[in-house]
Amino acid sequence: MTTGPPMMSMLESYLKLSASREQAISANMANIDTPGYRTHDINLESEFNKVMSGALRSSEDGAEPVQLTPVFHLVQGLMERPDGNNVSLDHEGLMLAKTQLQYQLAIQLIQNHFHQTLSAINGGS
Amino acid sequence: MNLFDSLSISGSALLAERQRSEVIAANMANAQTTHTEAGGPYRRREVVFETRGASSFRLALANNGEFHGPTPGSVRISDVVDDPSPALMRYEPGHPDANKEGYVAYPAINPTAEMVDLMDSVRAYQLNASAVAATKQMIQQAIGILKS
Repeated sequence: MTTGPPMMSMLESYLKLSASREQAISANMANIDTPGYRTHDINLESEFNKVMSGALRSSEDGAEPVQLTPVFHLVQGLMERPDGNNVSLDHEGLMLAKTQLQYQLAIQLIQNHFHQTLSAINGGS
Repeated sequence: MNLFDSLSISGSALLAERQRSEVIAANMANAQTTHTEAGGPYRRREVVFETRGASSFRLALANNGEFHGPTPGSVRISDVVDDPSPALMRYEPGHPDANKEGYVAYPAINPTAEMVDLMDSVRAYQLNASAVAATKQMIQQAIGILKS
């Protein structure tokens, strides 16, 4: 059998994180004309690493798995407009496409996982 | 559910941008209006956008990643303000709204500025509409797991 944290719960966390990021991007796009609004984002990789290492520890010594609490941070280094808003249309569009593909990847992996199970049930036929 | 929150955030922006286009359309329609119910020429209007629940954005996220109450990060029009710039005075002594010297107060509306504003609004609307399409696709993919 597989070792380490179960595949499905990992993929589930990944989907949740991608959806949170999608939400941050939607909020950034919605506030493209709001004076003083700052671009928010979450660091998908570091958040996912946090969840993975927590899940690994809990599978080793039976500790409580860490709760998924994505931390939103303000994006630095973007050009600020005179009204104090620093939402970049290109940056958000790119991030939206990226997040969408990452979400699709996780969905495909989940489907693949189910297909494998189904194939095992059917004896490989 | 997170993705449906994204939809409502984008939806709030679509609504706000639509209202903004309406205000711009009213400005352009009333570019020559010298007579209003309040008296005097039409005053150019501008919308003020505001983030809703932005202060609780990270607070709510620290709270187990779940949101309660109004969706944080959504946008709304907090106010529609009058442009304080003075009216344009044109010499038209025959006009019924002319003052004693024969000058008529016209609204200080620049059609070019209004058109640029309108284009900005339309682009922002398109941007948010594409965000809605992206979110919708993600939800459909998630539903697709059930269909495999």
